[in-house]
Amino acid sequence: MSVPVETLDPVDYAVISQSLIAAAREMGAKLIRSAYSTVLREARDGSAALLDDGGNTIAQAELIPMQLGTIGQVFQPALALYPKETLSEGDFFVMNDPYSGGQHLQDVFFFHPIFFEGKVLGFSASVAHHLDISGGDPGLNTAATDVYSEGFIIPPVKLNMARDWHGGAFQRILRANVRVPHQTMGDFDAQVAANAIGAARIVELAERYGVNKLKAVMAALLDYSETRMRAAIGEVPDGVYYGEDAIDDDGITDAPLPVKAKVTVKGDSIEIDFAGTAPQVRRNLNAPFAATISAALSCVKGVLTSPDIPFNAGAARPITVKAPKGSLLNPHHPAPVRARMEASFRAWNAVMKALSVAVPDKVIACGYDTTTVGVLSQLGDNGWSVYLEIFGGGYGAAIDSDGCDAVDSPLSNCSNTPIEALDQDFPFFRVIEYAMTQDSCGVGQSRGGLGFLRRYEILKEGVRFSLYSDRFKRAPEGLFGGGAGTTGYCEIKRRGEIIPLKSKDAVDLLPGDIVTLAVGGGGGFGDPSKRSAERLREDQADGIISADRAASWASSKIAAE
Amino acid sequence: MRVGIEVGGTFTDLVAVDGSRVEVVKVPSTPASPDKGAFASLAAAGLDPAVVTDLVHGSTVATNAILERKGARVAFVTTRGFRDILFFQRHDRRNIYDLRYAKPLPPVRRKDCFEVTERLDSAGAVVTALDEAEVVSALVPALKAGGYEAVAICLLSAYTSPVHEARLRQLISAGLPGLRVACSHDIAREFREFERASTTVLSAYVQPVIDGYLDRFEATLAAAGFKGAFSVMQSNGGRMPAAAMRKNSIAALFSGPAAGVVGAIRQAERSGRKNLITFDMGGTSTDVCLVVDGVPSVSPETEVDGLPIRTPVLDIVSVGAGGGSLVWIDDGGMLRVGPRSAGAMPGPACYGRGGTEPTVTDAHLVRGTIRPEAFLGGTMHLDPDKAHKAFEPIARQLGLSVRDAAAAAIRLAVANIVRAIQLVSTERGHDPRGYALLPFGGAGPLLAAEIAEELGITEILVPPNPGVISALGLLSADYVKVSGVTRRTGLGDAAPHMLADEFGRFRKDAEAEFRQLGLNGELDFDLTADMRFVGQAFEIPVPVDTAALSRLGASDLAADFDAAHRRIYFHGGEPGRKVEIVSLRFGVRRRLETLPEFRERPAQLAGPGSIEVWTPAGAIKAKLVDAASIAAGQSVDGGALVEGYSSTLWLPPAWRAARDKAGNLIVSRISA
Repeated sequence: MSVPVETLDPVDYAVISQSLIAAAREMGAKLIRSAYSTVLREARDGSAALLDDGGNTIAQAELIPMQLGTIGQVFQPALALYPKETLSEGDFFVMNDPYSGGQHLQDVFFFHPIFFEGKVLGFSASVAHHLDISGGDPGLNTAATDVYSEGFIIPPVKLNMARDWHGGAFQRILRANVRVPHQTMGDFDAQVAANAIGAARIVELAERYGVNKLKAVMAALLDYSETRMRAAIGEVPDGVYYGEDAIDDDGITDAPLPVKAKVTVKGDSIEIDFAGTAPQVRRNLNAPFAATISAALSCVKGVLTSPDIPFNAGAARPITVKAPKGSLLNPHHPAPVRARMEASFRAWNAVMKALSVAVPDKVIACGYDTTTVGVLSQLGDNGWSVYLEIFGGGYGAAIDSDGCDAVDSPLSNCSNTPIEALDQDFPFFRVIEYAMTQDSCGVGQSRGGLGFLRRYEILKEGVRFSLYSDRFKRAPEGLFGGGAGTTGYCEIKRRGEIIPLKSKDAVDLLPGDIVTLAVGGGGGFGDPSKRSAERLREDQADGIISADRAASWASSKIAAE
Repeated sequence: MRVGIEVGGTFTDLVAVDGSRVEVVKVPSTPASPDKGAFASLAAAGLDPAVVTDLVHGSTVATNAILERKGARVAFVTTRGFRDILFFQRHDRRNIYDLRYAKPLPPVRRKDCFEVTERLDSAGAVVTALDEAEVVSALVPALKAGGYEAVAICLLSAYTSPVHEARLRQLISAGLPGLRVACSHDIAREFREFERASTTVLSAYVQPVIDGYLDRFEATLAAAGFKGAFSVMQSNGGRMPAAAMRKNSIAALFSGPAAGVVGAIRQAERSGRKNLITFDMGGTSTDVCLVVDGVPSVSPETEVDGLPIRTPVLDIVSVGAGGGSLVWIDDGGMLRVGPRSAGAMPGPACYGRGGTEPTVTDAHLVRGTIRPEAFLGGTMHLDPDKAHKAFEPIARQLGLSVRDAAAAAIRLAVANIVRAIQLVSTERGHDPRGYALLPFGGAGPLLAAEIAEELGITEILVPPNPGVISALGLLSADYVKVSGVTRRTGLGDAAPHMLADEFGRFRKDAEAEFRQLGLNGELDFDLTADMRFVGQAFEIPVPVDTAALSRLGASDLAADFDAAHRRIYFHGGEPGRKVEIVSLRFGVRRRLETLPEFRERPAQLAGPGSIEVWTPAGAIKAKLVDAASIAAGQSVDGGALVEGYSSTLWLPPAWRAARDKAGNLIVSRISA
């Protein structure tokens, strides 16, 4: 039936491959540009992909690394329930259940089958982080003790656009369960549209080149990414490498939660085993297994490969990921998972540290590497108004480059929302400062990236604030003699009094309160005494480091942790 | 005599017209001082500046000042608490997996960024008054001590009220007379502080460079007895008198690609073609633009070196596919073309300057669509053996003959350009089959027929001297000024009044400004409303008919917006989903009274004869035709190489090129 790869014309192969990648990119661009909520339109917390008829991810829009690793896995339970032969035009799947392959309830996946000449040729997929999907608190319920209290759960279901969407039952149920329907329902429409665009492009390719050739290229593109990934892994010395990091605490007690990785490199494949990682916890820091896989794959890809390798199911073939059931990285149902990014980041750090032994020139030191989510909400006469923003921190340094200052963390890639957009949209608070933090970078031959802070002045009654973050107690470590970065913090200034918050917390605010949310800088790389005097002078002139820090730089030791 | 001089990276092109006299000249550019190349082109054309009545100039001076970080020493001043906005940028990464990611470097350092105490809200009301004492006692001395050549001011919410920026400028100017001060509300009066600040800083950064360049240029012109009008090209596709550019240098960025599009539109108009896809293929890249009813698409912003610039520019998409683009096989075994380029040095292998990697130009030479003796009008000899040798390793790896490997590379270059065309057409809801393809640049006409076939385009229009269309665009460009303003307004009954008021204000100001510049005569105005559904962050431009402004209703605007949204995003409004206007964009244009005639410059190439070209159907004999020898009303059938002074057209079998009265070659399929 299908054309064997060997007989594919090299130009057809190259052209169709690039067209598939371009189609996925267009899906992603239009998902973002037609979205309504700040979390999707400004933070761009969404992704899009094209899958083959077996559910393998062929091409993806490169938006958020965390969502990219496992769209194919998320899709499998739906395909198992509803085989492709049973699908009709207009059918689609929706799901968000972390215990059926999802990551957290806010990420809702839409899959649309792509029909050509009456048969399913593949699927277009999109996922978006939705501002509010019900649950015990707007946007983020830090007190949730299970997944039920985190929001509205959608197992893999088959729906039909005509029957269930445009004013249909499912759409109405969904609308009734979200606090900000104007934004959220618009974002769902953007997902539906992105999938329609992907389908239209695939059909055009099928018409132009024929189904057989298109399918052959899809298969070849998977092999292509696999080949390049294996070539990159093949250059890493064989061996067993270990790395470890930890989350501050579980939000209830003060004990750190270790995350351990054992990375076994053998020939052109890698096995990553998270045995020894802390057991699952009672609050929302658990990472469902799909998140763990994404984190591990993203780290390997970032360290070992050039950026132009399409990240599809083929790229994942040489990498096996294991995590003990019941652990922080593979929890039992129904543990809460809303803040799964923190455990995912520590998994990323642990793999990075393990690889630093094998390929020291390719890795970077620990950065702040944390997702910090701040939510300000207010219930007014016209319903809820919810502001949510995602913050990164300073990147870790590499042997030959300083860490990037004030940027979103590696597994994420959210933009900030312009202050002037916030001023227009949210009359209940005002941002009064957005600044990088002097001396927050770890020392080293290369310095870490700077952390930063945001200060909000509360202007109205009835405002609530919730956050989750990490590294409020444990600073990111430097590498090969580089110094640690800094911890983050959050505090409220109320009538002259300072009220510190925990890294996972929620409070009611009063008008006049000033909320400060600060994220830390990244760790340094290499012996600080090897940094050139000129670069120290420049950083001091620019206020990145203080005169004191510049003077003590060369003699700085790794901060005791 | 009207003259256009376009300074590019490698060549400086000149087009001069005076009634029936047409001069076309290409001379090497002089990057260290581009004006030298410009005056050399005048000399090469045998033109005395004293007889030039209208000189229009385009150059890469502004762009290069940014790319090479050779602009002025600029201080940036913003609202207290926000000194770092140029460094935060948007907190994202362009390459999501890059562990060593570095943000685009702003043209000012952190130590050059200052804060003043003040704040406005989104309605323009004062939240915190400008602390004038602090400005006088702290900021002004700091600016003085820093030895800055220019100051860029961008205060939060200044797009809605200029009150604090204007006062701050007064205070700085009072304390430091003569120091240039650029305010964000003058440069880009739109919301989103980082993009506005970036635009303002870049403007302040290049202004002194442009001023110095224009001073020198005008002095040399004056010394040579020039008494005509001197204008400068802008990225929005219009020109302005050089005097006006002394306030608005940022508009001069990327004027070269815009000039090309204007030249293409003007030349196509003469043949009655108004719906076009233009593509300009040069040495390192190809620039693509969509033109609907004679009007090129406009984008509200662009970027240079990764830094955003909020100013309307022609919406030109660039891909790394040019004659010098390298052909290679990646470590996964896939054939690739570009984006790396052999550049001018060493250049393609066939240049014989030490390049060994194959390029698109080498591929043309191997398959026979470039004749070594006829390259650049015969002024540069190419070595076919070196091109052949360069393709051998790739041919071996793919298991193809060298000619087939070269043909594969050409097909891939075609595919790269096709994708860029789809980006400006299909992805924006326009079917390319309804458009004529207009190739220009040295390498454009060589691939035009193959690109048209891929896209289902049935007509190609090849202008005379395709390699100097940008210079033609200069002297045929209208005088244009554009500006934008953020006026967030819900789409209710008040919206049409707001539109009419704002438009009336712009119109009055523009009429006064043009009069002051000596640009008399009738002015044309246009108005575009950037609209979105309430809650969205990205706007869609919706053209508004200014003649019908008095009877325009909100529902008309809503319907136009909904249609545009559906075309691009495949979905539109639902009951209850509100629409708002975010920004308005105005344009004023003084049209040229007469457009220049344009004809082929004779290339004096050898001919007649034939050359063997490798096609999908095997080797064929292609006729050699001198482009200048095809007179109006005559035609040539493919396969043929139609050679001109600045470019060659490859006419595959089954295609025909017919010269029309306007001097253009209309290329179409020979009907069966």
